[in-house]
Amino acid sequence: MTSGGYRIHLTVNGLDHDAVVRPNQTLADFIRHDIGLTGTHVACEHGVCGACTLIVDGEPVRSCLMLAVQAVEAEVTTIEGVSTEKALHPLQEAFRETHAFQCGFCAPGFVMSGIVFLKENPTPTRGQIRHALSSTLCRCGDYLGIVEGLERAAARMSDQRS
Amino acid sequence: MMAIKTTPLGQSIPRREDVRLLTGRGRFVDDIQLPNMLHAAFLRSPLAHARVLSLGTQAARAMAGVHAVYTAQDLKDLIKPIHFDPHIEGHRVPSYTALSGDKVRFVGDPLAVVVADDRSLAEDALSAIEVEWEPLQAVMTVDEAVASDAPLIFEDLDDNVIYHALHEYGDLDGAFSRADRVIPISIKQARVTSSAMETRGIVVDVNPASEEMTCYASSKAPHMLRGRIAEHLGLDHHQIRVIVKDVGGAFGGKGAVWREDLVVAAASKLLGRPVKWIEDRVENLTAFGGARDQGVEIDAAVQSDGTILALRMRMWLNHGAYPGMWLTPMFAALVRATVLSQLRVDTFAFETLIAATNKNTYISYRGPGSAETLVRERVLDVIAAELDVDPVDIRRKNLLTVEEQPWEMPMGVTVHRAHARETLERAVELADYTALRANQVSARADGRLVGIGIATSIQPCPGFPDWWEAIGYKTEPAPARLRLEPDGTITLVTSEMPTGQGHETTLAQVAAAELGIPFGHVRVVLGDTQTTPFYYFGTGASRSSNMGAKAVISAARELRRRLAELGAARLGLEPYEAELPFAEIARSIYADGDATSLEAADVLVYYKPSPTEGGWAASTHLCVVEIDRRFGTIEIQRYIVAEDCGQMINPAVVEGQIRGGITQGIGVTLLEHAAYDEDGQHLAGSYLTYVLPKAQDIPEIEIEHMDIPTDDDFSARGVGESGMLMAPAVLANAIEDALRPFGARVTELPLTPDRVLQLMGELPSESSGLT
Repeated sequence: MTSGGYRIHLTVNGLDHDAVVRPNQTLADFIRHDIGLTGTHVACEHGVCGACTLIVDGEPVRSCLMLAVQAVEAEVTTIEGVSTEKALHPLQEAFRETHAFQCGFCAPGFVMSGIVFLKENPTPTRGQIRHALSSTLCRCGDYLGIVEGLERAAARMSDQRS
Repeated sequence: MMAIKTTPLGQSIPRREDVRLLTGRGRFVDDIQLPNMLHAAFLRSPLAHARVLSLGTQAARAMAGVHAVYTAQDLKDLIKPIHFDPHIEGHRVPSYTALSGDKVRFVGDPLAVVVADDRSLAEDALSAIEVEWEPLQAVMTVDEAVASDAPLIFEDLDDNVIYHALHEYGDLDGAFSRADRVIPISIKQARVTSSAMETRGIVVDVNPASEEMTCYASSKAPHMLRGRIAEHLGLDHHQIRVIVKDVGGAFGGKGAVWREDLVVAAASKLLGRPVKWIEDRVENLTAFGGARDQGVEIDAAVQSDGTILALRMRMWLNHGAYPGMWLTPMFAALVRATVLSQLRVDTFAFETLIAATNKNTYISYRGPGSAETLVRERVLDVIAAELDVDPVDIRRKNLLTVEEQPWEMPMGVTVHRAHARETLERAVELADYTALRANQVSARADGRLVGIGIATSIQPCPGFPDWWEAIGYKTEPAPARLRLEPDGTITLVTSEMPTGQGHETTLAQVAAAELGIPFGHVRVVLGDTQTTPFYYFGTGASRSSNMGAKAVISAARELRRRLAELGAARLGLEPYEAELPFAEIARSIYADGDATSLEAADVLVYYKPSPTEGGWAASTHLCVVEIDRRFGTIEIQRYIVAEDCGQMINPAVVEGQIRGGITQGIGVTLLEHAAYDEDGQHLAGSYLTYVLPKAQDIPEIEIEHMDIPTDDDFSARGVGESGMLMAPAVLANAIEDALRPFGARVTELPLTPDRVLQLMGELPSESSGLT
């Protein structure tokens, strides 16, 4: 610990970061305010809504419940790291086509948890998708558009693999 | 409408907004970072009703990183007391201050603000503020509030009554004495909250050198916010600029100025530095505000054949403590003005009782008058059940036909071109209603609790002028500005302020179609009081797809007319060319900089509908539910929508609005309760206790758009609120139908499993004491 903070090293979207973080600083606040990647949104701060989901070492993580100091030597992917300048991730593209989101505040969380879900369940049923999505909240509430987006992305990604 | 080869109108074009929102490049208010910015946090009352004997801020002020702690006393010369003009005659409006001083009136009432280097330091300093309280008795219900010995909530009023009025139309005594039966019906709804995923927030940046104030806000009405800040801080309107980028949902709740906005503006002014306040979720659920928390008791005078002769209604509404900008008599007036909307009933009484309590501010929440649908559809179903008539037949008996329209309702509101009956018949057909009833009979024989619900509604969007008058307002004209750019593309400036509706896409579709140019040639600019035409109202009341779009159409027609003239004069084009060469005309105009032509290329219109324009969207929802006898849980097995919102600008957007509205309707019907206990403690301060609908709670939804032709050349009508109006009514009716074997009446929402088990007689019907 140095002058009220801990020195940590981690990678965010493949870039190395050496940083000093306060012991009570959440990973969400660190990513948003210190790194400046504001695509990760904080909506409930209780780990219920899933808006702040990041991928940390391959796992979906609610960054409002994880402290920045816990991310030492972690590989973190944020919403800014899943598409390129040229192309959206197939899930982002599918969500766009199905008009899954309205205000879009929760969208980054659905994209991040959806990417991990599709990696673990490449050919999910509609019921499995609904079950998985129930961990993330959208108040605009067109969950059917979100389900359809995941279905479409799953189909497209499995076509690409075969 | 211009006929062009591929009109973007009516296409489910992917939204312009979505690439940035899906890639994390949206800009919400908490994403704004300004140099030298400070952060605010509010000290809020933990008690529902108490005197503040002392407020010690010295220790907090001395903490490292804390720049200021302000109380009501510190800000009294800077922020004028908040006192909204009465909405209608007989309405009593208490005045209050942005920060409460010697008394608090609900759990969450703001008492002080800390401004610090960052939010966590500001929050830490809150706990160093010392308050000495004298608790007072909390008043939590309208009944308690109007009791003769009730503690007074606002000392500048004589009692807690905010509004009490009786409106009577027609010969009620005659109708009630003629009736074969008088049937009593009642329905009440719990307090709920809009709870957008993005909470409230504002960044205010006062430049002490130029005396300009820039506010970055999460608002659906930037001009309204600007005006209200100017009024309360004693500034000129032109000193203030409100900038709104992406808004993470509003649902009615972000169209006003809030006490916190005024305090943050004052803090920035005092400190000469930008100050940011972002509400946290606990504050949002506790202190932002509540909606519904109302009930209606009805006596229906009916004939044995199901004809309704007259209705007497008594509505109560729990105002909470501090009035918000949208005043509570308006919410009751919405119900009074709309509840009869499609019934052939001209004899009507409506009594309104609104009282102040120790709850949070009453807010507008999507479908703020939605009780009108719930009440009317419950009335129809209870009458049907009492007379042993099918719910579809009771509606066929009492709903206006289109041939009977225009029909003037007793309170002076005109119903015209409203196709409720057509949607009813279509829904019945889509559902194969007869077969559903037959299936229900066999399911009941197997002991299963299957219910079928139907609800039909028409919705004023936008209402005719007489509807706006009936709720105490005038129709505010909607602006649009179109500029032909030097390369022939179009910039469309709208004062609509979308909060998820997709106007950057839909209004561009409308403009492109009307101008006869590709969708990609129009860009929509919005969200800045410095560039958008004045428009107090902002986006709401399901007006944009009609009023907002018609403003764009008016501007586009005017621009086309001018460009056709210029094209004829300058380029020798035919005066009525179907496809104008925009780029060529633009080059010609901008090349020589002729003042008249440049002026012609920039069009500002304010669109005001004629008394017969606008009108009613209609829909029927029909659903099938099954109740699990063991747990009292409800499965929605089928959900059908037949609706007429006129022509669709972007069908995918329309369906998203309908389905999202249904989701929120499911929430308020089955899950959500912003509960208070008898002492006024708020019990639903997180998403663990305030339960939002999740993906698994939502059924598949079958939607049929009817788009019944009218004589309007642009017939799109609002659709943003319909799902929220309809889902509570159709679900309440279906659940009561499922409970028919128990003879139960649904009289209260939400229908949580414990309440369903009570209706089945499986649990004792004792009150939880929560309100």
